[in-house]
Amino acid sequence: MTSPTQAAGISADSAAIPEPPAGGAVKKDGSAEGRSPGQLMWIRFKRDRTGVISACVVFFFFAVGLLAPVISWLYGKNPYTTYGLETPGLLDDFNFPTGANGGISADHWFGIEPLLGRDVMMQLVYGIRTSLLIGLAVTAATVLTAIVVGVTAGYMGGKTDYWLGRVMDFLLAFPSQLFFVAFMPVVVALFVNPEEETPTYIRVVALFLVLWFLGWMGLGRLLRGQTLSLREREFVEAAKVSGAPPWRIVRKELLPNLVTPILVQATYMLPAAVTSQAGLSFLGVGLLEPTPDWGRMFATAGRVYEMDPTYMFFPGVAMVLFVVCFNLFGDSLRDAFDPKSGR
Amino acid sequence: MNIAKKRRARAIVVALAAGSLALTGCSSGSKNTSEGSNTDADAAKQQAVIPLGDAAASQGPAVEVPGAKPGGTIRVYQRDNFDHLDPAQIYVSDEGLLATLYTRQLTTYKTDKNGKKVLVGDLATDSGTVSDGGKTWKFTLKDGIKFEDGKPITSADIRHSIERMYAKFITDGPTYVQQWLSGGGTEYRKALPDGPYKGKHLPDSTLETPDDKTVVFHFKDPQPDAPFALAMAAYGVVQKSKDTKEKYDAAPQATGPYKIESFKPGKSMKLVKNENWDAKTDPFRHQYVDGFDITFNHQASDSTKRLMADHGEAKTALSFTNAVDPLQTREVLQDADASKRVVKGYQPYVWQMNMNMDRIKDKKIRDAITYAMPNKQILGLNGGSYGGEVAGGLMAPTLAGYEKGYDPYGKLKKPNGDPEKAKKLLKEAGKTNMKIVYAYANTEANQKVSVVVEDALTKAGFDVQKKEVDSASWYAQMGKVKNGFDLYMTGWGQDWPSASTVIPPSYDGTQIADGASNYSHINDEHVNSEIKRISRITDIKESTKEWQKLHHYIVEKVNPAAPVYYTKQLQIYGSKIGGAEYSDTINYIDPTRLYVKK
Amino acid sequence: MLQFFLRRTLGAAVILILISAFTFFLFFSIPQDPALLACGKNCTPDSLKIIHENLGLDKPVPVQYLEFMRGIVMGRDFAVGPCPAPCFGYSFANNQPIFDTILDRFPTTVSLTVGGAAVFLTLGLGAGMLAAWKRGSLIDKSFSSASLVLSSMQIYFLGPVVLGALVYSTNLMDSPKYTAFTENPAAWFVGLLIPWMVMATIFTANYTRMSRSTLIEQLQEEHVRTAKAKGMSGKTVFFRYAWRGSLIPIVTIFGMDLGSLFGGAMITEQTFSLAGIGRLAVDSVIKTDLPMIMGVMLFTATMILFFNVIVDAAYAFIDPRVRLS
Repeated sequence: MTSPTQAAGISADSAAIPEPPAGGAVKKDGSAEGRSPGQLMWIRFKRDRTGVISACVVFFFFAVGLLAPVISWLYGKNPYTTYGLETPGLLDDFNFPTGANGGISADHWFGIEPLLGRDVMMQLVYGIRTSLLIGLAVTAATVLTAIVVGVTAGYMGGKTDYWLGRVMDFLLAFPSQLFFVAFMPVVVALFVNPEEETPTYIRVVALFLVLWFLGWMGLGRLLRGQTLSLREREFVEAAKVSGAPPWRIVRKELLPNLVTPILVQATYMLPAAVTSQAGLSFLGVGLLEPTPDWGRMFATAGRVYEMDPTYMFFPGVAMVLFVVCFNLFGDSLRDAFDPKSGR
Repeated sequence: MNIAKKRRARAIVVALAAGSLALTGCSSGSKNTSEGSNTDADAAKQQAVIPLGDAAASQGPAVEVPGAKPGGTIRVYQRDNFDHLDPAQIYVSDEGLLATLYTRQLTTYKTDKNGKKVLVGDLATDSGTVSDGGKTWKFTLKDGIKFEDGKPITSADIRHSIERMYAKFITDGPTYVQQWLSGGGTEYRKALPDGPYKGKHLPDSTLETPDDKTVVFHFKDPQPDAPFALAMAAYGVVQKSKDTKEKYDAAPQATGPYKIESFKPGKSMKLVKNENWDAKTDPFRHQYVDGFDITFNHQASDSTKRLMADHGEAKTALSFTNAVDPLQTREVLQDADASKRVVKGYQPYVWQMNMNMDRIKDKKIRDAITYAMPNKQILGLNGGSYGGEVAGGLMAPTLAGYEKGYDPYGKLKKPNGDPEKAKKLLKEAGKTNMKIVYAYANTEANQKVSVVVEDALTKAGFDVQKKEVDSASWYAQMGKVKNGFDLYMTGWGQDWPSASTVIPPSYDGTQIADGASNYSHINDEHVNSEIKRISRITDIKESTKEWQKLHHYIVEKVNPAAPVYYTKQLQIYGSKIGGAEYSDTINYIDPTRLYVKK
Repeated sequence: MLQFFLRRTLGAAVILILISAFTFFLFFSIPQDPALLACGKNCTPDSLKIIHENLGLDKPVPVQYLEFMRGIVMGRDFAVGPCPAPCFGYSFANNQPIFDTILDRFPTTVSLTVGGAAVFLTLGLGAGMLAAWKRGSLIDKSFSSASLVLSSMQIYFLGPVVLGALVYSTNLMDSPKYTAFTENPAAWFVGLLIPWMVMATIFTANYTRMSRSTLIEQLQEEHVRTAKAKGMSGKTVFFRYAWRGSLIPIVTIFGMDLGSLFGGAMITEQTFSLAGIGRLAVDSVIKTDLPMIMGVMLFTATMILFFNVIVDAAYAFIDPRVRLS
């Protein structure tokens, strides 16, 4: 699923975190006007038109996901009704849309789904909603875990660092793809009484758990390294000498200096989580019918591609657009934080 | 170069890419071609009672396929691995098909010059001699029949083949002959718990081999269908000295025209000519091609696309058992070239929605479910009119005794269900909003089926609880008596064209047990006693009529399962393949007739 | 050197044992009986019991685990016959030895990986270097944009589109198919060309991006700038200093990618109907074929660990300052 994407994320790391965001560099740029680093970042970001545009697209995707019920209400369709089966004439004898281009019409803007005849636009909108929800949750959880583990290991050092390092080694050796695929059914089975309908939320939670479990080590290692080098810096030493408690040092001295890599990494992790989740559905271990799902649309679309290419078009373009804009957004964010790394 | 500008260049490329995708995304709408596939005539041919052939009919060689030439190798795309090659473990149709190429039984089916099916002797000189009121069946072996290693096949080998089916490691094959010989249920295993491997044998009063050429079966009751049962692949012959028990399942010895040269489970298999097979002894098989080159893991969509494109090796290719992908049926039939390269026919399976009678005791509710079932929508997700036909009853069109148009629940008139009537019945039963647990095998297609079934039942006033079940062990889980589900769809097909292989296994209440195929747990006094009575009738025409009557009673008076659809098979083959013809006993393209066009 | 490998091997062994225990116990905690798979359509309690005995499922789970682990090291005897070490047992689905099945599938995965890696390494690194060398030029811009878009592609999207364009609608090429290299090298190459290309597309894009950015970074490093200032030609500086310095991150990522690819490319194999390790994994998961899942899991993890060690060893060759310890 994501080995390429992961590679992208990691490859970006090496560029994204050249050195700890040097306070010196920021000062050199900004001291003349006396702005805070945050303001500077904002100014730089606003100047980057592509960044702003991709941010808008990203925002748009979130809005679509969030407002899915509103869109459904305005559009007058829902993702569950099998319009094609209920209205004669929409699907032919083989359950393919009769209209041109996958049955695009004034009623169904993106056409209707082959076989079941549901509305493609609603499927996609709700699919995006599900994927983004899971993606966001996974990203938040992995980032949080990575911060806790990485900073602890880096700051405490010694035995703690050693053992946390071994745990990360262990988890990194897990074949992640295989793990996702193999443990989805197990995790679901753990939660459910075999004679009841598996509530959708359990599958969502299971997806979240498997993606989270092996998702955080990359960032964790990175933060550990950063913390390790920050720990030796004068301002941390100074805080230590002045008798500040460790918690305060972490909060006031370390974390602010780690915000950049965390934020940048999070923007790369989110699309990776979304595509991983779609990949699981493609392989048949994701969410089940009738829950709308982005990845499953690809599985079906791949099979009907020659007869109904339109059905591949909308989810495909949406997915590419989503990932591209997220990556562009991440690049812009990184550049805005740290102009030196610009490519 | 400032960053922002460079990004804009990227953004333009993004837009371009999206545009080019847009080009690939356009398509014209479908022309609504609705020529139903007409295979009624085929079904009529199939459902006729198959006569028993005499010694002359059992002689080889088989009737030549017109235009057939020897030579060439055929590529075969298969979806699933052949999990069992040991004949005694074979009970599923794709393995059964493969077995026709490498194994031979006492009897087999052939098509005579007039295109009629006859049951003839395969290893035996004829279809058997009956005596003792149907209890004793005698078979004489032909001359010149050999194993792959050149050793002649003797009656001792037949004895061994039957006796090894009593051994513990044989778990998957049919049990007809064993049960007829030594007692029903799993009772028969007690007659020879270790099989023939520890020096013990069945007594002569059960299985007799007076000389090298003669085998006599002494059944406990009259068994008019014995020659039909013995034609099943499972009763293929196994040589005693080459029997490797469990390991035989991956490397069996051949007696048919082809032998297994190599087998990599889940990946590939190569069949080559068996030099020790003699065409003169075989009334049914041919040996035109030099071999078959089989690979697995080809989903129906993949094999269909390859065969449709008919490019390179796909020209001399086919799939033994993959049907045309339901999603591509339309494309195949609309393609002038590809549509010439298809065969179609009825398969023996009836898909039925079982209603667990331990849990749904009120017939009104069962009727409500039957009326509500959206048969045509379910069929639509399984290939539409080319994948099957809406079922009105529980007997398949391939079965002797099938009645066209039999439709007590009006499924043919209202193929998408009658929610009003269902609602009314449910209300009469006083169970509106009844909770119903509907289980389905977790596959892509069945997930979609579950959507329409849930819709239809909800409209009829049920509260549907859907439960996905691991598809690999689906039948094992549904076969449990306490499976915990109300509704589940299963398919059952005849083992030979007699209702005696359909009604007793599916509707005999005395056989309810874990692992039995009475999935709806129907246990009706009248049905049970009738099954007992009709099974004893030796005249096949007479018993066919009686089975028909019992079928009516089951469907109309008990209604244990809602009929959903009868299956049809549509297969496509490469342009250089000759002799492709649907076989109504193998239920796929007959592989023994195939040749490669020059 | 020897000490380094010994220590790493030991570490890897510990990790593998942990992974096996984790997988084994988690799978046995689910309520479904794994013997059902081997039981067929008419699964009577009798036959289920026989299967339990045949497969050793009648013993307590920890005992089963110990027997399984002992089998890997010393081999073990089954009802089906002896199973020499390394014995991962027999598949519940088709009674085949697990290890043989994996070895049998491995060549497909190796071919897919080696060919794909050859494509994406040459194209990706080449494009990245060119872009870094001509930084800011039209080439750079178009490469960067193209790689951005391509890296966002998904195989399950790109695969059907490419197949549709090259195979099914135009008949330009045959459907992808694996032929053993030893059997027919030409057929091997032609049959895997499309999967290589599709799989490599995404990797190529990533390697272009990565090699470009690390090279540019290297060009800004002090020693590189010093060399330039001393009057060395741009080419020498680029290839001798910058290129060498950028190798470490590339080798790291490449090692990780190889490790995971040798463990099976599930989506690629699924999309192109190739029977490699990835496909085997998905199939065994869908069937809950426990011994097969264990076998594939351990095999894949071994691959990952193996390449980790290789990468670490490679550092010492690339950068003499790194010592193996």
